[in-house]
Amino acid sequence: MLFAHGFGCDQSMWRFVAPEFEADHRVVLFDHVGFGQSDLAAYDPQRYGSLRGYAADVVELCRELELTDVVFVGHSVSAMIGVLAVQQAPELFGALVMVGPSPRYVDDGDYTGGFSRADIAGLIENLDSNHLGWSEAMAPVIMGNPGRPELAAELTNSFCRTDPDIARRFARITFLSDNRADLADVHVPTLVLQCSDDVIAPETVGRYVHEHVPGSVFTQLSATGHCPNLSAPEETTAAIRAFLGR
Amino acid sequence: MDHRGDPPPTELSRLLDDDPAELYESAPCGYVSTLPDGRVVKVNRTFCEWTGRDAGDLFGTRFQDLLSTGGRVFYETHLAPLLRMQGAVREVALDVVRGDGSLLPCLVNAVEVRDDTGAPVLLRTTVFEATSRRRYERALLAAQRAAAESEARSRTVQQVVSELAAATSAREVAGVAVSRAREAVGASGAGLWLAAERRATTRPGPSVPPIELVASDGIPADLLEAMAAAAAGGAELVRGGGAHTVPLGAGMRAVWPELARALADAGQEALVVVAVNADSRHLGALVLLLGAVGDSELIDLTEPGHRGSLSRADTELLETVGRQAGQALERVRLYEETAQQAARSAFLLDAARLMASAVGVAETAELLAELAVPRLADLCVIDLAGEQGLTRPAARHGDPARQAVVAELQERHLPNRGTPHPSVRAMVEGRTVWVRQVTDRFLAEVTSDERHLELARSLQLASLVCVPLVAEGRPLGVLTLAADRWRRPFTAADVEVAEQLALQVSQVVDKAQRFEREEHTSHTLQRNLLPPVPPEVPGLAVAVRYVAASLGADVGGDFYDVVPLPGAQVALAVGDVVGHDITAAAVMGQLRSVYRSLLVDRPPPSAVIDRLQAGWSLLGLQRMATALFVSLDPATGQLRIASAGHLPPLLVSRGHAELLDVRPSRMLGAPPAPAPAAEWAGVLPPGATLVLYTDGLVESRDADLDVGLEALLAAAAGAGTADPDELCDRLLADLAGGVRADDVALLAITRLP
Repeated sequence: MLFAHGFGCDQSMWRFVAPEFEADHRVVLFDHVGFGQSDLAAYDPQRYGSLRGYAADVVELCRELELTDVVFVGHSVSAMIGVLAVQQAPELFGALVMVGPSPRYVDDGDYTGGFSRADIAGLIENLDSNHLGWSEAMAPVIMGNPGRPELAAELTNSFCRTDPDIARRFARITFLSDNRADLADVHVPTLVLQCSDDVIAPETVGRYVHEHVPGSVFTQLSATGHCPNLSAPEETTAAIRAFLGR
Repeated sequence: MDHRGDPPPTELSRLLDDDPAELYESAPCGYVSTLPDGRVVKVNRTFCEWTGRDAGDLFGTRFQDLLSTGGRVFYETHLAPLLRMQGAVREVALDVVRGDGSLLPCLVNAVEVRDDTGAPVLLRTTVFEATSRRRYERALLAAQRAAAESEARSRTVQQVVSELAAATSAREVAGVAVSRAREAVGASGAGLWLAAERRATTRPGPSVPPIELVASDGIPADLLEAMAAAAAGGAELVRGGGAHTVPLGAGMRAVWPELARALADAGQEALVVVAVNADSRHLGALVLLLGAVGDSELIDLTEPGHRGSLSRADTELLETVGRQAGQALERVRLYEETAQQAARSAFLLDAARLMASAVGVAETAELLAELAVPRLADLCVIDLAGEQGLTRPAARHGDPARQAVVAELQERHLPNRGTPHPSVRAMVEGRTVWVRQVTDRFLAEVTSDERHLELARSLQLASLVCVPLVAEGRPLGVLTLAADRWRRPFTAADVEVAEQLALQVSQVVDKAQRFEREEHTSHTLQRNLLPPVPPEVPGLAVAVRYVAASLGADVGGDFYDVVPLPGAQVALAVGDVVGHDITAAAVMGQLRSVYRSLLVDRPPPSAVIDRLQAGWSLLGLQRMATALFVSLDPATGQLRIASAGHLPPLLVSRGHAELLDVRPSRMLGAPPAPAPAAEWAGVLPPGATLVLYTDGLVESRDADLDVGLEALLAAAAGAGTADPDELCDRLLADLAGGVRADDVALLAITRLP
């Protein structure tokens, strides 16, 4: 099982869920380039200017680790990265679990993503306000000692710390992508996990994904918010287990 | 915990003893306690006052729902996860929405209270108003962003300047300007049009010069067409210089209805027309589209309807790009012109070299056409004026697939005299005809029938130049160069090259034609002067050979003669007039006639020489000559030989060869010398062969005469034949094989046993 973190933090988002599968799966966790303990020097604005670059990373990672029959569990934007990865190399994947997915955040005609363009602009601005605390002086501490994560962990808000420039770019490709047309290409068993009261990925959006991914399973969680993997790990784990056991 | 000095002041004491609940309610910061899912369970008065909300309304509301949209997303994606993972967050910037809808910028700290199992029970949040601090930070950010954008713009300018400096063609320059300008201002598409080169023949008409699209990026074909069709108005904008944004509105719909429709269909909202000028000359325009980006993966953050404008800074940036591109285009044009000039000079040099080595008119024409295509033109034709009208010794097309068409034209459709065909006109009028634009009407006028027209059309010619070939005022023919529609049309410089080339060709053709004419005359003359078949002489076998020099088209003054005289005698002669031209041939003919007339008296060989010498000045012969004169009695083999400066005759008998020791007197026509003509007398034995020859047989440019004579003796001795024909062949094969610098006349006589 390959767990991919979404917009915001890093692989520690899976700390309550991933261990539950270690008994019967090979569990692989990773940070997207630009986040967590990844090598910031590997960040190429061109490659990571679209979700396809991140999807290509996932495919590369599977091939490098010689993973087969992969259960890809993607949270938030990584659910769409999973869709694109499956599109790029369908032979690698056995199942896709989408936690709080949205193929398009911006409203478009009849489609309701839940956000206006102004909302997204405000969101990006909000990110900028919260990254003023990012100090260039701290970056070398994080980047220079990938072998000593405790150094990074000492920093405030460490799990969700990102270079502001990368954070802004990632926010743009997260909230300004439109992957609705890609959903039809998913031909592996797929689970859509939908939270309650999720302002980021409302239920209508989850239903939309379910309707457009052929043969997908839709599971409504009672967990609220956007991160059931943290707020309701047991329920999340059980839902994934139930899906895999089918 | 407190510390009080004494005596305690009453007021302070009262405050410090204050009710902790009151302290909570009126603390200088907002307190909000929520359940793990965010629902508010306790809130202090300060928070209510700041936000203008009622505590009763807040209970049960999720804290994240009190935030702006951006804040809400940040709460869900960052704040809530962090609280779960590390139990506390500090200094998070959020905007709380007040009861009246306005925003309260805050800084928020929060802790997660957990039970014994580590499960979250409560979130405690403190909220600090940070209006001025956030305002300051925003100003700082705005300044940072402005600086970054300004830096990005100067980076763009630097990049454009350095990339333009590396560009070597108009296409490259336009490519750089289009892609960089589009990228810099986030345009949905861009294209660069240039005014087509002005041509002298352009008829005065609409004031808009023809334009040409040199590069485009992101603009669909139908929109490009609509834009080109509206170029007239665009040109007006360019004349004003700078960059102009033309929004898709009532104004545009009135002036360019077609374009406005095409723009609207493509989701575009404005055009930006940027002048591309160099030193205030208008070269063209860089046009950008503002609106929906067709080839972007990301959704445009700007709402539709708000994309049709540019900031002042971006407009200035585009103006800079336009100016830089104009200067680069100017430089590239100069560069291209220089490169083309160099190529033309190199071509003329190659042509001169080639023509220096060419032999003959046809070969010259053929080699030249091969050289001209495709370096100078797509089609090169050389027509020459002949006695039977035009001939076309060369017609070559650069595309092998079209050579068949050219060949058919060459065979069946030569231009007729009296037609307005440009090559006929060029020859008749004696001046260059430059057809700048080949139209279908033009083709119809100059072709003679349907098939001719069809062939001419299939070549898809765009322009052509016909230059007359003239030597000393005499028209020789026409050189025609043509460019098809894939080649840049001919310029004045190309026409000049064609004229220089024609000049060279004229000289070579003139020389070659004269030469060929003279050669033809000389050979005819010589052939007529020499008896092709020697006469039958009883008792003798006679063989003669005449072999022309292999180099060049020279004609020699060599001759031989065999005349049976009345009675038993046979007169033989071999001679060589100095020089290799028509004069030499003429002198030889005259000399032979005089010699024959002398034979009437049957003079001995020495007397023949004496009489010729005596009458030489009266005969008016312009060249000196060497000769051997022989009388032979076939019955007895009696031989008498006299030499006027000629090489000794050869006697071959039974595998033995010797040169007869005939003492030569002075050459015919040489100044008088004391020694009179001597005569050698002897016998030609039965079966022996007497060989008379001219110096071409034994002389060569790189060997001594003695060596040649030794070789002759060896060849004759080794020939092993008594047949004069076979002997001649053997001698020629052994001695005059390969390259001959001079003509050879050979006469062999065998006395039959």
